[in-house]
Amino acid sequence: MDIGQQFGSFFANIFSIISNPTLLLVLFGSTLMGIIFGALPGLTATLGVALLTTLTYSMSTESAMIALMGIYVGAVYGGSYGSIMINIPGTAAAAATALEGYPMALRGEAGKALGLTTTSSAIGTAIGMFFLVIFTPVIAALALQFTSFEFFLLAFFGILISGSISCPDTVQKGWITGFLGLFLAMVGRDPLQVYPRFTLGMMQLESGIEVVPVLIGAFGIPQIIQVLKDRQVVAEPAKLDRVLPSFKTISRNIKHIFRSALIGVGIGAVPGIGEDIAAWVSYGTAKKTSKNPEKFGTGCEEGIIASEVANNACIGGAMIPLLSMGIPGSPPAAMLLGALMLHGVAPGPMLEIEQPGFTLKISAILLLASFAMWVVGILLAKQVVKLLRVPPALFMPVVAVLCLIGSYALGLKVFNLYLMIPMGILTYYLTGMGYPIPPLVIGVILGTMADANLRRGLMVSQGSLAPFFSRPVALILLIVIVLTFITNMGFYKKLMTNLKGRLKK
Amino acid sequence: MKKILTLLLILAIAMTSAFAQAELEYPARDINNVLVWGAGGGTDMANRLVMAEMAKVLGVNINVNNVTGGVGGSVGMYEGYGRPADGYTLVGLSESVVTASVQGGFDKRMNVWDFFIIGGSPDLISVTPNAPFKTVEELVTAIKANPKSIRAGASAAGSIHHLNLLAFEKGIGAQFNFIPYDSSAASQNAAMTGEVSLVITSVQEQAELIKAGKLRPLAMLIPNDFDFQGTIIPSAFTKYPALSQYLPLEQQIGFAIRKDAPEAIKTKLQAAFKTAMKAEAVQKFGKDRYFSMKGLVGKEANDIFDKLESVFSWTLWDLGAAKINPQTLGIPR
Repeated sequence: MDIGQQFGSFFANIFSIISNPTLLLVLFGSTLMGIIFGALPGLTATLGVALLTTLTYSMSTESAMIALMGIYVGAVYGGSYGSIMINIPGTAAAAATALEGYPMALRGEAGKALGLTTTSSAIGTAIGMFFLVIFTPVIAALALQFTSFEFFLLAFFGILISGSISCPDTVQKGWITGFLGLFLAMVGRDPLQVYPRFTLGMMQLESGIEVVPVLIGAFGIPQIIQVLKDRQVVAEPAKLDRVLPSFKTISRNIKHIFRSALIGVGIGAVPGIGEDIAAWVSYGTAKKTSKNPEKFGTGCEEGIIASEVANNACIGGAMIPLLSMGIPGSPPAAMLLGALMLHGVAPGPMLEIEQPGFTLKISAILLLASFAMWVVGILLAKQVVKLLRVPPALFMPVVAVLCLIGSYALGLKVFNLYLMIPMGILTYYLTGMGYPIPPLVIGVILGTMADANLRRGLMVSQGSLAPFFSRPVALILLIVIVLTFITNMGFYKKLMTNLKGRLKK
Repeated sequence: MKKILTLLLILAIAMTSAFAQAELEYPARDINNVLVWGAGGGTDMANRLVMAEMAKVLGVNINVNNVTGGVGGSVGMYEGYGRPADGYTLVGLSESVVTASVQGGFDKRMNVWDFFIIGGSPDLISVTPNAPFKTVEELVTAIKANPKSIRAGASAAGSIHHLNLLAFEKGIGAQFNFIPYDSSAASQNAAMTGEVSLVITSVQEQAELIKAGKLRPLAMLIPNDFDFQGTIIPSAFTKYPALSQYLPLEQQIGFAIRKDAPEAIKTKLQAAFKTAMKAEAVQKFGKDRYFSMKGLVGKEANDIFDKLESVFSWTLWDLGAAKINPQTLGIPR
């Protein structure tokens, strides 16, 4: 497909959606739901996508994707409401926004802050979409280079990198949870020779551990416990003023917008880490490169723009590896992967061969979602904040029930609840000890892929490891994996500081 | 008080006679089809179409309910078997339910059912366009000269396509290097990347790739040639008659009724089914999905399921994938 055709089909997709009232309703409805979800402390984009996934079982693939992308975009943006108004970030992704947004709100400029956030988020999403359109075909062109060996390395890399980046202190903790996830993925009958592994003779474990209960358990339960335990106090929301930012404000910050978008897309594209890290890295970079860093933390525009553009640009970035390689680029994208599979779409190098034009369709949905988010955001800025007055003690039990329903709805198995609850309690304690949870979930998701493809590859090569070195894509992946390992090791860091010290002499 | 009692008595008598009447004039009320697979799948779509046509003949509605879950559709089969054998409950199913018994999902054999077979898309052997084999003989000659030298992809061990591959190997007396994949689509993808050079899936699954010239069909694994949009794909049986011992193992979509249902009701259903199979909508559906349409009932249909049950059960047992020994269930090898 040449560029002209691509554009044609892109706009055809947009028109087919906006000319269908039902789809429009789904788009705006789910975006609104996402914003509400994001604005409520303790509810993340991941949880929103997870819960909505269970409601889209009976929808068509297109409307399901519109609903899920809408809630994803809305929730990533919605988190900033809590940050700005009451200094409680609705989601971790909006935590950086609180540093600038709340001081601004205290000055009585809450409306300005919200407007800026809304516009930045919309611009960020649109830029992320642009990169999705440009890069996915490039990666998809490599599709036929991907055989079992490459798939194994890719899955392994996904688990490794998510462990490396998402951990606050030592990378080893990330790897430990990653391998814990890998272990969970091994439970059940192995996909190649149907031999039962770690099933303890239990019938329910034969089909393996399902991703959805693990996801909801790992992300939902600890949050519910945490919020109820901390008894977060909700402050009286401040008054609002003018919402829409002036064109001047945007043009003045155009440099920040583009830099933050690039950071967001880049971090989104790396498997396993998501919006929260994108926002922090972008905010940090903005502060480091600013001429007057002392302004940061007192309510400056650049800070808000940096974190909000980046966390929304991350969405488009996260979709790149999801659609072109079947590896989720962020935790909500991991949930999207599950949702896509439920609808019979298998993302990966073969996606454009099996479902031509699917990436463009997602891009079109993403652009429309960013527009819907902007419209709804500007209109509802004043109203949505009122939801924050619902006390967590009333609200979190409702979420807990939704988590239970969400886990049960998949396959209507009570066993999934027995799986989800211990999973949640385990992850609550793991979080408390500083172990990051995303690698665990990524491990469960990618574990089967890693296991089946490694052994399949060895069946193909009849036991030879040579293809790891003789296949170009496999070799590149292998080198990247080895480098990731080495650069994260303590001895490497010591060596580098040593070397630098000697060079200075 | 007496009046009420008399009234009740009259009512009761009236109702019994009404039921007796109903038994004579089957069907007197709507029929239920408990479908063991999910909505939107091949079995679901075929059943809904055929049920709609049968409803026209029988003059009542036939409601299709998807009752999924368990092992090999066991939840739906239990649900269907648990209802009275009065002809008002049918069970929509396909060939893979025969694995339910040895997998520990269903505690009865398949001989508790009388089957109605609509049809299914038959399996065939195809190779990648760059493979040197133009005919099935060339393929067989090559694999016999060099056992295990050709990588063959099919969906996971114990699937119908894997069973077809095993049967083909037995029929020609040679072994391929079998590479299992999660699904038929994944095995076909692997053929595109060159990881395998031979795939066994159904005509329906390969149709787009054959049309695009990305797979070269060599031979059908059924006794008859297949007309694929004007191109005749020859049957492998013509060159290798020994295959008829092990094959065909085809997708068989259809439905079943409890075997202990009254004969008169079964006859009526069979007649309605035969008429429904001739309907234009049903025939068009079969053509669009590259089905070979069967329309089989009674002994013919039951024999096919007996054979499927035997082959599936024993193959799974031999692979170590079965929980219950087919011997204890009384399934002949």
